[in-house]
Amino acid sequence: MSARNTNGAMEAKGTAGHYVEVEGLVKLFGNDRAVDNVSFSVPKGKFLTLLGPSGCGKTTTLMSIAGLHTINAGRISVGGMVYTAPADGLFLPPEKRDIGMVFQSYAIWPHMTVAENVAYPLEIRKVAREEIDARVTDVLKLVGLGQMASKLATQLSGGQQQRAALARAIVSRPRLLLFDEPLSNLDLKLREQMRVELKRIQHEVGITSIYVTHDQAEALVMSDEIIVMSKGRIQQKGGPREIYARPVNAYVSNFIGVANLLKGHVTAVTAPGRGVVEVSAGGRTVQMPCLLGKDMSAGAEAVISVRPENVEATRQNGGGPSLEGEVIQAIFLGNCVDCRVRWGEFEWKVMAHPRAGLKTGEKVYLRLDPEHTLAVLP
Amino acid sequence: MSVQTAAADIARQPTSSRWRSLVTQESVATLVVSVIVAAAVILPLFTLVVSSFQVLDSGGFDTTWGLDNYRTLFTDRVIPKAFVNTLVISAGSTVLATFFGVSLAWINARTNSPGRDRMEPFNLIPFFLSPFVGAIAWHNLAGGKTGLLNSWAREYLGVHGNLLNVDNIWGVIWVTGLFFSPLVYLFVVGSLRRMDPSLEDSARTTGAGLLRTARTVTLPLVAPGILSGAIIVFVTSAGEFGVPFKLCAPYGWQTLTTQIFSKAVGDDANQYLGAAMSMALGVITVFLIWIQQSYIAPRSFTTVTGKGFRPNVIDLGRWKWLAFAFNFSFIMVAVVLPIFCLLVVSLHPVWQAEIIPSDLTLHNYVKTLFWWRPDHIQAATNGIYNSFILAFLGATIAMILSLVVSYMIHRTKGFGSRLLDFLCVVPVGFPGIVLAMGVLVTYIKTPIYATLWIILLGYITRFFPYGQRNVSSVMLAISEELDQSSRMAGASWFTTLRRITIPLLKPGIFAGWVLLFIIFLRELSMSIILYTSGTETLSVGVYYLTNYENETLTSALSMSQTVVLLICVFVFRRVAGREALTA
Repeated sequence: MSARNTNGAMEAKGTAGHYVEVEGLVKLFGNDRAVDNVSFSVPKGKFLTLLGPSGCGKTTTLMSIAGLHTINAGRISVGGMVYTAPADGLFLPPEKRDIGMVFQSYAIWPHMTVAENVAYPLEIRKVAREEIDARVTDVLKLVGLGQMASKLATQLSGGQQQRAALARAIVSRPRLLLFDEPLSNLDLKLREQMRVELKRIQHEVGITSIYVTHDQAEALVMSDEIIVMSKGRIQQKGGPREIYARPVNAYVSNFIGVANLLKGHVTAVTAPGRGVVEVSAGGRTVQMPCLLGKDMSAGAEAVISVRPENVEATRQNGGGPSLEGEVIQAIFLGNCVDCRVRWGEFEWKVMAHPRAGLKTGEKVYLRLDPEHTLAVLP
Repeated sequence: MSVQTAAADIARQPTSSRWRSLVTQESVATLVVSVIVAAAVILPLFTLVVSSFQVLDSGGFDTTWGLDNYRTLFTDRVIPKAFVNTLVISAGSTVLATFFGVSLAWINARTNSPGRDRMEPFNLIPFFLSPFVGAIAWHNLAGGKTGLLNSWAREYLGVHGNLLNVDNIWGVIWVTGLFFSPLVYLFVVGSLRRMDPSLEDSARTTGAGLLRTARTVTLPLVAPGILSGAIIVFVTSAGEFGVPFKLCAPYGWQTLTTQIFSKAVGDDANQYLGAAMSMALGVITVFLIWIQQSYIAPRSFTTVTGKGFRPNVIDLGRWKWLAFAFNFSFIMVAVVLPIFCLLVVSLHPVWQAEIIPSDLTLHNYVKTLFWWRPDHIQAATNGIYNSFILAFLGATIAMILSLVVSYMIHRTKGFGSRLLDFLCVVPVGFPGIVLAMGVLVTYIKTPIYATLWIILLGYITRFFPYGQRNVSSVMLAISEELDQSSRMAGASWFTTLRRITIPLLKPGIFAGWVLLFIIFLRELSMSIILYTSGTETLSVGVYYLTNYENETLTSALSMSQTVVLLICVFVFRRVAGREALTA
């Protein structure tokens, strides 16, 4: 790594825990709080994903870090260097931030060849010609475009443009990599392949990355950490497994994967983190033993969240507590059967094993494992 | 610079870096350009308003404040009639141009009329030529006794007297209507081509017949385009100076433009009264353009839906030959006949409404083009020289301005960009002659008066929005992320502009440049107000010849101008393609 291009990023090693720090970020569009008091940090070398539906503020947060717009309040710093802090009147223009960014449209300049595109950040940094050539060749090989250097950007396919954009973003070994939904324009097959590859390359170059997407599968596959956002606020931050297995509220539960959500309230706390929630649907009332969310006490409003694969459906009542319902839809998907089971007014989504042999119109018994039944905030 | 020192630097000097963050290349450029554009656009209009309230005393030297100029607009012997004539001419031209424009657009976009691809470029040619020259040509074709068509009618058809006469208000309507048809055509043909055919197909599947579909689906979708085109034609006709000056003013029909002209430079010059007349004309045109911009243009739904449609083509059967004949006739009367007539007349020593092969000579071209010969006519050779300088400089400066202004409007947000957007529409609302009056009264006491600079300033102020639209349309098609990724790669705002934005915009910039070059080469109604002896332009040269010399010399210079314009049109089509031409 050539020292003069890293802008002293090495010196920030000591603060490995908080490489990227975003504190109290607020961005207004008119009266609309696009980002509303968002704070998080990313350890050096890690891959963080901002996940949420369009309009949740994830791209605005990314643009704020990039410096492509100004913010109204808060403080953003990377490796001890303050990027922006309106309270102190600080704003570092985007070109001074030493960031590599991959855009949704790839933004490969159509009037240049692939090699010229990738060489551009190095030319701006006044790197010597021979070194530029060597590094461009290396990075193109890394992203799998070794043979494409002299092609015009317009001659590349979508996936290849994507790789070129990635090469351009990492060639100067920036302090930080930003990704703005880079895979959303690719078709499904290519997208799945690129997820893995992008993660591999990021891991190889070891640059701290922040990734924005609305695709929860993408987030689960690629991230070290995920932040789920909604309406400009952070809903939950955690590792992929944690976010999926222990969502804190109904919103996250529903956004990450599929969940059966029933409103109720906590009737008893049986052990630390465990308790009973009473739910009622269409005149039926059931006490469900479950895992309680943080700080939930008796009488609190709660939503029961159960993943479809965690609902066991059988045709015989094998004893023990179970819910009696009727199969109203059963779609065979090969490795499983996607069922809808009517229970009172509520329709359970159930992923049943094909061997269970569920058929539309049949009576069925649903059994819930308390270890996989969560009480979350409404 | 290490991270620590950079951070410390920033932390130590919060106040000065607050200023530093405001003073960027981008903000300085925005401020400078905004001030220039605002001054160029607002100053002449402001002075025009002020001047219109200054009343010249009988001695012709001192002025007092008052409404007398506006009173004169109603009490004068000529002006009220000129006002009515202007309205009649504009209304007539609008009807004619809309009829031609819509019919031709429909024939070319939606029927199987033969030879469409060949004829389409010719339909647009009048858009680029000078209507003033068109009037000169039609005067020699059908102007009473001197009309070539009339003498042919006498000779071959045995008609007594004159078959046709364009030396009147109807002739003005005929020529302006013909020359402004492409304006309507361009607005309508775009909507017709880009219309999603399934819109019509779905109407047909519900059981609506061909005519009912046209009436209930196609026409309403195209209506905003037609209306926009019609309004633009009305406004342009109201501001047209050359055609009424040539065809009806000498025969007793004055218009507002010919009256403004005589008040600006004539023997009874009174700029203050001229300013009041300009105000009257300007108020009408600005109001109409405002209606078009804010109510009609936003309603043209078909232009926003994607591209790549193959519009429904109607099989006209045997009627397709009628459509062909119609289009062919338009090209004959709007392009071929006028240019043929210019050529024929220019080759005669004297024009007697007949072609005399033994008399043919190039003498007229020698006198108007060869500046080194002692018998050259200075107004003509000066005009050519000056016009090329003005067109080249004007197009270049206007495109630089357009580039920065477009960037401000589309790539920066906030009050400044909205103000600029507004300032770019304002000059379009004012006829050239009105804005020229404003420029005249503003700068008459400054050193740039009576130089080429005042004309250059007028040209750029009035026409840079056309260039700006060319750049903007390309800029809108280019993703902002292309710029942003350059900033993220570490390039400054200016480097990004130089290495990414400008190279990507090159086709739009060049198309805009050629369009402005064409407009400036044929410009008359501003030049005629702002020129003095020595700063004649090409069209002013034509005006001089038609006023003080004869028809044959006039035709020779007109023909030269037309040839240059046609070459530019050819270049323009090569670089811009047909879609770039949305006025």
